[in-house]
This record gives sequence, C-alpha cells and structure tokens, in this order.
Amino acid sequence: MGRNVLNIYCLAVYAFLLAPIFVVVGASFNAGEFLTFPPQGLSLRWYFTFFENEVFLRAIGTSLWIAAVATFFSVIIGTMAAIHYVNFAGRYKEAVRVAALSPLLLPEILTAIALLFFLYDIGIGTTTMFGLLVGHVLMTLPFVFMNVSASLEAYDTDWSMAARSLGARPFTRFRRIMLPLIKPGMIGGALFSFVISFDIFTISLLLKSIGTATLPIQLFDYLKTNYTPEAAAVSTLSIVATITVVVIVEKVIGLKMHKF
Amino acid sequence: MTEVRLNRLTKIYSGGKPAVDSITLDIPSGQFVSLLGPSGCGKTTTLKMLAGFEDVTSGEIAFDGEDVGRVPAEDRDIGMVFQNYALFPHMTVQQNLAFGLEMRKVSKAEIKRRVQATLEMVQLDHLADRYPAQLSGGQQQRVAIGRALTIEPRILLLDEPLANLDAKLREEMRVFIRDLQKRVGITTVYVTHDQAEAMTMSDLVVVMFDGHIAQAGAPREIYETPKTAKVAGFVGQVNLIEAPMDPATPGHAATPFGPVPVTAPGVGETVTLALRPEAIDIAPAGAPGTPATIERVQYSGAIVDYTLRFADGTAMEVKTIPRHPFATGDAVSLSVDLARFRQLEREY
Amino acid sequence: MSQRKTFLLLLPAGVLLVVFLAIPYVSVFISAFREPGQGTPYGEGYTIANFTRILGDWFYVKQALNTMLIGAVTTLATLVIGLPVAFQLARPDLKLRGLFYGIVLSPLLVGIVIRSYGWTILLGNNGVINRTLREWGWIDGPLPLMYNTLGIVIALTHVFLPFMILPIMSAVQGIDPSVGSAARSLGAKRPTVIRRVLLPLAMPGIQSGCILVFVLALSSYVTPALIGGLRVKTTAVTVVDAMIDTFQWPFGAALALTLSVLGGGSVLIFARLTRMKWK
Repeated sequence: MGRNVLNIYCLAVYAFLLAPIFVVVGASFNAGEFLTFPPQGLSLRWYFTFFENEVFLRAIGTSLWIAAVATFFSVIIGTMAAIHYVNFAGRYKEAVRVAALSPLLLPEILTAIALLFFLYDIGIGTTTMFGLLVGHVLMTLPFVFMNVSASLEAYDTDWSMAARSLGARPFTRFRRIMLPLIKPGMIGGALFSFVISFDIFTISLLLKSIGTATLPIQLFDYLKTNYTPEAAAVSTLSIVATITVVVIVEKVIGLKMHKF
Repeated sequence: MTEVRLNRLTKIYSGGKPAVDSITLDIPSGQFVSLLGPSGCGKTTTLKMLAGFEDVTSGEIAFDGEDVGRVPAEDRDIGMVFQNYALFPHMTVQQNLAFGLEMRKVSKAEIKRRVQATLEMVQLDHLADRYPAQLSGGQQQRVAIGRALTIEPRILLLDEPLANLDAKLREEMRVFIRDLQKRVGITTVYVTHDQAEAMTMSDLVVVMFDGHIAQAGAPREIYETPKTAKVAGFVGQVNLIEAPMDPATPGHAATPFGPVPVTAPGVGETVTLALRPEAIDIAPAGAPGTPATIERVQYSGAIVDYTLRFADGTAMEVKTIPRHPFATGDAVSLSVDLARFRQLEREY
Repeated sequence: MSQRKTFLLLLPAGVLLVVFLAIPYVSVFISAFREPGQGTPYGEGYTIANFTRILGDWFYVKQALNTMLIGAVTTLATLVIGLPVAFQLARPDLKLRGLFYGIVLSPLLVGIVIRSYGWTILLGNNGVINRTLREWGWIDGPLPLMYNTLGIVIALTHVFLPFMILPIMSAVQGIDPSVGSAARSLGAKRPTVIRRVLLPLAMPGIQSGCILVFVLALSSYVTPALIGGLRVKTTAVTVVDAMIDTFQWPFGAALALTLSVLGGGSVLIFARLTRMKWK
C-alpha cells in the first residue's frame, strides 16, 4: 500500500514538472489573438508570424552561434582540466575541482556584474561579443569538466601503461586510447554545455552588446510587453529543437557505448 | 632470448623508506622467475621498474649487459600483462593484438600474419572480432598474454595475472602460461603473492620481504631449505621449534624427536629448527616414536591435518594422507627422519 | 609526463578562471565602494555610502529579507516535493525509470524563460488555474496567484526541483542495499528503516540539494521578474534594475554583494548545522 501512495505522489510531481511545458506548447497552437489556455481553436498562425519576425530569427541565430563557440572552447579547456584533475592533480585534487566548478557555485548575478566591471576596467566593455562569449565559456565549463572527469574516473590508467609497454608515445596514447574512451563523456559535456549556454540569462542580459540579444533575452523582452501566443510558438520550437538534439546524440552515443 | 641482471636496484619514493632496497638478481635467459612476497614487499615496484613505469632511484637494470634503466617504457621492448588485463575496451581482440605492431610501423600484411599466429597460439582465432567485454575472464587473460607476446618482446612481465580468476580456471591458466612460456622460450618475470603459483610455475622463486630479497632459488630449494622462518612460513606450512642445545650430545639440539645435528652456537643457547608437517609420520600409540595427543583434526579428502601436543606442551602440525581414522583426544606416536630438520638463520 | 608538462593541461582553465572570474570578483568588491559616476559607470573616489544606503533603508532591508524567505521556502518546498521522487527514481527495479528520469531532467532542457512563461499562463488572473476554478464554480474572483510572493515561490519550486532531486537520487543510489536489509533483519520496520538508516545516509545529497536550490533561488532573476512583475521585486531584480535601467553600477554591486554575503552566511550556518560526523 505504501508503495502505491508513493507512486501516485510521484506521478503528481511529474505532472507538476510537465504542466508549464504543456501549457506553453498548447498555447502556441492558439488561433486567437491573446494568450489563453485552453486555446480558442487550433491554428499555426503564430508559427507563421514567428517565421516572418526577424528579431526572433536573429536572436536564435545569435544563441546558436554563441552556444557553438562557447561549447567549442569549453570542451577543449574543460577536457584538459579534467585530464589533469583525474590523473595528475594529486593532493591538489579537491582545490582543482572546486575551482573548476566555481562558476556554478558562485551566484550568477554577481559573476555577471563582476565581469561587467572587469570588461569596463580593461577598456573592452560591451562593445564586442567577447565578454558575452567569456561569460558563456565560464558558465558551461563546469558541465564539461564534470562529464569528462566522470568518464575519466572510469578510465583505467593501466590502459595507458599497456599502450606504453606496446610502444605507444604520449600523443598516440591520447589519440588511440584515451580519446576514444572518454569521447562519450566529452560529447555529453558538449551537449550539456550547448543546452546550458542556450539557456543562460543573467550573464547574457548584462554582458550583451547592442544587437546581440540571445533568444532568452529576446523572449523575455517580448513577454514584458506582449501577450500574443507568438512567444509560445517560439518556445515550442526551441523545446522541440533541444529535445531532438538530445535524443539524437543520446541515440548515437548510446549505440557506440553498446559496442564495448 | 634476454638475460636480465638487476644490480643494487633501489626505489625510494619521496621521503619514505626504500620500497625496493638495493636488490641484486641474475635471471638467466629463457627462465621463468617469480617474485613472491606479501603486498608491500616491493615485488610490484621491481616489476614496474623493469617495465619502465617507475624511475630507478639507483642501481641498474641490464638486458643482455645493456643498461636499460633510463630507456622509456615505450622503447624498452617489454611485454606486460596486467592484473586486470588492461585490454583496450574499444578495440576488438584482433585490434588489441595488432596495436603493438602498429606502433612499430610493421606492414599491414605482416601485422595480419603475426596477429593470426598469436591468435592460434593463444587459441582464440574464433573470437578475433569480439570486444573484450564479450569475453570470459580466462579468454581476456589469453588476449592480454597474446597482446604482450605479439610484439616479440625481450622479456615478458606478468603482474598477478591470475588474481581475478576463480580457483579452477587459475589452475588451468597456470599450466597454459607455463607451457606457452616454455614454447616461446622468453625470459619471464612473474609477480605473485600466491606461493602455489610461484612454486608450480617457476624455474626460480625470489622471495621478497620489505624491499629485500629474502631468498632466491629453485622452488624445491626454497621449500626444503628455507633460510629464515619468514621464508619457510611464506612458501608453506611449517613447525618452528626453538630447540636448546643438547648438553648430552655436543653439536646437537634437543628436540622432542631426539638430538638433531646443528651448526651450533655455544651450549645453553637455542637454535630455530624448521620441520615441514608432512615430514612427520603419525602412528597409533605404542608404535615406536614420541607420544603425543591429537587436539584437532582437519579432514580435507586427500589430506588430513592434525594439530598435536606433546607432554611438555609443545604443539606440532602434521599433514598426512588419511591412513588411520584418528579422532580428537586420541593418543598417537610421532616419528620423523631427523635429516628433515632445517636449521634457520636468525632474523634481525 | 613531467610535472611541468602536466601543468600545461590546467593552464587554459586556470587562466580563464583567474582572469575572468577571480580578478573580476576582486574588482567588483572594490567597485562596490566607488562613488557614483556622472555619465561614467562609477566615479573616482571611494565611499561606504552604497552600503549605508542599503542598510539604512527599510525598503532594501525588507526586500533582502523577503528574498531570503523566498529562497528558504523554495528550498523547503523542493525538498518536501522532491525527496520521495528521488527515492523512487533511485530504485533500480523501477519500471519506466528512463521516462521518469527524463521528465525530471526535462525542465533543464526547456529554458528558464519558457518555464517561467508557462507559469504566467497557469497562474495569471485569467490563467488556466483561475479560469478552471471559476468554471467549476469554486471561486468568484480570481485567486491572487501571480504578482506576489506565493507565485514566485511556486514557479521557483518548479524551476529548481531537478536540482534537489538529482543530488538526493545519486546519494540514495550510492547506498548499499544490504544496509536496509540488515536493519530489517535486526527488527526495524520499513518507516524506521527510512528514518534511521536511509535518510541519514541520503543526507549528503539532501544537504547539497538544499544549498544548490537556495543559492540558485536567491540569485534568480527571470522567474521573479516575470511572475512578480512590477509589484513584487526580489533583491536580484532590483540589482539588475540598478545596473541596466538606472545605471547605478556601484550601488548595484553593493546590493549584489550584500545579498551574496547574506546567502553565503546562511549556507555556512546551514552546512554547519547539518554537518555529518561520519563523512
């Protein structure tokens, strides 16, 4: 009996978790002028409105570009740090971990302000996208670090030693043995990093230069003054895109993992 | 065929006492040598120095007279088998076997030929395209040995390779490894803490304690003429007898079985004697010999172990085939060939 | 590889974290003591006026306390709601485990603006909840669910629930199942097993979940801004207003620092109170 109560309780929580997502998706098919749920008739009109709205399209472009570039740097920097952390950090291990995770542990709003002051002090300010990119790399680094270290913890250092005894030099050992084995962790980290970057708000809000509003910023701005279901259409597309990417990557890595 | 010589080889980790303390050892070409000892005795460190995974603090490692102590592991031409096999999980059996040859820039056709030869040698040609995770422990073990041998290394190093196998498979693999080693004729160093493995497989057993070599010799020599009580105890069960010098017969120690000739210290001091449990004959009371009482019987089929006590309170282990159905409390008579006593060196 | 060469692996991350995190944090600390500027982000001189202005004004103090209260209640709510779910998800024999796990992760994939937006659709005066209740005849006027602290807490609870569930789940998964059996073999009934054995062992996960949710809730901006609107503002919202709308950088920095110190202090006290001797 206790188990049934628990299951019903949990189902209620799952419903709670999904509720706002469902209403957004539902509202996007609203035929009416205003945001209501349940919708007053079904229509795709807000999707067409969206496809003609350059502001949102540009914001999506900006978001994708920043997420891609930030993820690229995060994966390289985070993977290197994770390799050091797992294999070589010795008694500084805990210190390296806390440092690598610090962007996650510090309040984002203070980090954003700190970066803003710093960029102003060194004369760059928010005139370029540099600050925005740095902020995104900082915020996504912990996710790459966590994922890659997890896959490295499962990496047996005897593999490297075996490769050495067979005559493999450091770079070959990395390329032929370590890289293929930590690749799932790196792809997972990249995926996380991409999704997180796509969602970063406060840092983007404070560090964006003119004309580089990311999708969350644009959506937020829009929501402050508009109540049309266009925002719901944008959100729905963004949800569908993210889930598609995640599922595809999961399937691809999943298949690879089955091989060994 | 490589002859290995360790000369005053020493390893000291920063600030500690030596893990390996100035050991000297000659391994004739083609021999199977076991480094035997409890964990922390320095046997694995010695192996890692041989492989090139640990720097040598001082002393030298020579292969055929050439000092290889500074040659990095990847250039040392050693075949290494790890305790957990360390097979590359993302490569098939074939790819694992080919890896070392690829590193040596061997031609594709030659790689194919040699991998096939190895597959046959380790009897795995039917599993060439499997991944390690799809193999049993014993099969993985054979891939690991094959991978180490494909590169035709100068020496083969094995680090407790049977520790993760179950008892039955372990005995099969002992025979497999030893046969293979004899066939290939490669100089082999085998690290283990299991005395049965060391005794059954080796030409030479090197017993190590605390970074030192306690004794090196053929299995039989180590077992029958151990130098110290620690060595005697590590390679098998042993009765240690603190025997006083016999005032009646000079140059002999007094034991419950009679005077035993020893290279004596002065009269009034004691010597330590070792006597293997199977050297003692046990017979029903009344037979000629020293009377004793059975305190415990451990019957294990082919062998029965008795714990006995003499009238003076000394205990004695006896191992024998179960000839008489003795039970706890029975009075018996013990006899021994006095030549089976070994006098041990004092340990400091 | 030598010590020096392996250190190179850490170099890029080190440079990034020192130059773009550690140094900026030092500079934000200094900047909070700057005088306000005229047409520039901050002036030349130094002053403590930014802090005296915050501490001397009941508006800011009350707002900070309310923000802390929102953080605390959100933490408690996510704990109460998330704990049973974490225990359920940790069961290896659970059917459809992948699906439920995906549902718990789903809010993280959807984006905080969209989730908060979803809550505005649900909680508004003409929102799904009020409309449904009215149609069923349970209420006459709309329940005040938005533009107040309650609405913010509801939305934040949703937004940060995964951050409570995931650490607890992994802590529970780390518990050796035989300790539960051991407790039962000693005569403990199921509730006792949970209270005396499983909960204490899950404590590390509970602790990190609580700290994570509290810190995230304190510094969150989007949800309070959308749900609270102009009527209820948290300190984080006021900070962003000061930085962007009224261009008072030193004051914004001082306010953000004050909130961080309050939050950090609470976390330290919490960690101290829930310290586990066996860890």
